[in-house]
Amino acid sequence: MIVVESLHTYYGNIHAVKGVSFEVKKGEITALVGANGAGKSTSIKTICGLLHPRQGRILLNGEPIQKLEADRIVRLGVGYVPEGRHVFPVLTVDENLDMGAYHRSDKAQIATDRERMYETFPRLRDRRKQLAGSLSGGEQQMLAIARALMSKPQLLLMDEPSLGLAPIVVRQVFEIISELNKGGLTILLTEQNARSALKIAHRGIVMETGKIRFADTAKNLRENPVVQQAYLGVG
Amino acid sequence: MNNTSIFIQTVIGGVGIGSLYALIALGYSMVYRSMGLVNFAHGSIYMVGTYFGIMWYAGLVMGLHVPYPIAFVIGVLLNGAFGVLLERILRPLAKLDLMFMLLGTIGLGYVLDNLFVIIFGAEGFAVRSPLPSMPLVILGVRIQPQMLLVIGVSAILMVALQLFLARTKTGKAMRASAMDRDIASAMGVRVNRMNALTLAIGSGLAAAAGILAAPIVYVNPAMGAAVGLKGFAAAILGGLGSIPGAIAGGLIFGVLEAISAGYISSAYTRGIAFIVVVVVLMVKPSGIVGEITVEKV
Repeated sequence: MIVVESLHTYYGNIHAVKGVSFEVKKGEITALVGANGAGKSTSIKTICGLLHPRQGRILLNGEPIQKLEADRIVRLGVGYVPEGRHVFPVLTVDENLDMGAYHRSDKAQIATDRERMYETFPRLRDRRKQLAGSLSGGEQQMLAIARALMSKPQLLLMDEPSLGLAPIVVRQVFEIISELNKGGLTILLTEQNARSALKIAHRGIVMETGKIRFADTAKNLRENPVVQQAYLGVG
Repeated sequence: MNNTSIFIQTVIGGVGIGSLYALIALGYSMVYRSMGLVNFAHGSIYMVGTYFGIMWYAGLVMGLHVPYPIAFVIGVLLNGAFGVLLERILRPLAKLDLMFMLLGTIGLGYVLDNLFVIIFGAEGFAVRSPLPSMPLVILGVRIQPQMLLVIGVSAILMVALQLFLARTKTGKAMRASAMDRDIASAMGVRVNRMNALTLAIGSGLAAAAGILAAPIVYVNPAMGAAVGLKGFAAAILGGLGSIPGAIAGGLIFGVLEAISAGYISSAYTRGIAFIVVVVVLMVKPSGIVGEITVEKV
């Protein structure tokens, strides 16, 4: 579905992504794992159009998208759940979901989809008229996911979905990601929590200082002794 | 006339002038929160908007004297379109340091002021009110009809702006992109367009203020300097970036000015109003209406 070819992205003056190539296959969960500063978030932001690469290509269903701005890329079916949630704090939960559907014009369908989101995330329904800034971290993460889903993506990019959440909420978030994938959604996520990410992912990519160290099926990575020692806290 | 009616009359005058400051302050605050830009050309934009409207009414264009309400609408729309052009000019400045913003926008203000001196001459002119000049007397309080028009139209514009921002899809997108431009663009919002619309609305409101003020002030290419500064002080007083703050700040500033002119001395009007602003900011640096910007992580 998405092919990244020898991508180089600078974050300010920092050469954060140094020649990264990988593929996200339709219907799969792909996890980008690695330490803080490995270039995972920069890769995700480059795909969704918030950053632009100096070199390399990003192909979405064969079409190059690396020069497009973020507001165009979401229209092509790429949803984005940012690191740190970034819900719109002074808009209500309802309004945040509507913003997710901003580029759609099918009003009736948007309302139906919004109700579906409230069935998936009942906690949000109780708070639909509240300002998003008043929600707990876990609720904000649910809202950020629901908001991205409102754009009807074929590919969902999730940047550090478990970061800063309580352990029980982390488990819920990973369950939701699995469920969404079973429903047919292709997902690319970044995670510092490599252990949990590689449990639900089909494939994993291990990044280190802007480069790919390993890329394999999640199962093989879980059994790789180097990965185990460095990233999974085994041994 | 008794003391109470003099006081009421003073306050009404202050609310009228304050509504004009509020309309100007809204332009500063809206542009600041959506682009992060402090636009010191805004006083000049107010002057430009005044000419854009009044020139049709006062016979500056081919001797035409179109009715005041039509000239008002033309002026607001023309200045709004001018705002869209301004977004394109100011866009590179929004990414730079405050020093460059200051120099760039102050410079733009000078260019506009002098351009209008070249076109219309440095000399100003008085504009007659479309309403009768005889003051209305209500329960012993004397009110200029033009002042009632100023208060009424300003109130309508401010309510309309609030409804637009709170209820419409575009208004919500404007607020969302002011809160977080990256995330808004990832939702499909064209942030530059929202900024252009913000400048269009800010400039349109400034034109409205200028055209409403024209019959009470003297129209000339230098008229923007003092009003621009007061509008900015009002925006700061209310909390730069806050829309209710800009409205409150403008009204308070206007009433303060009127009361100090009426009861202390009209020579010290400006000084007294600015001293109050400084004192308020020393106590509460975020202004009277602090926006909710807290973000839970």
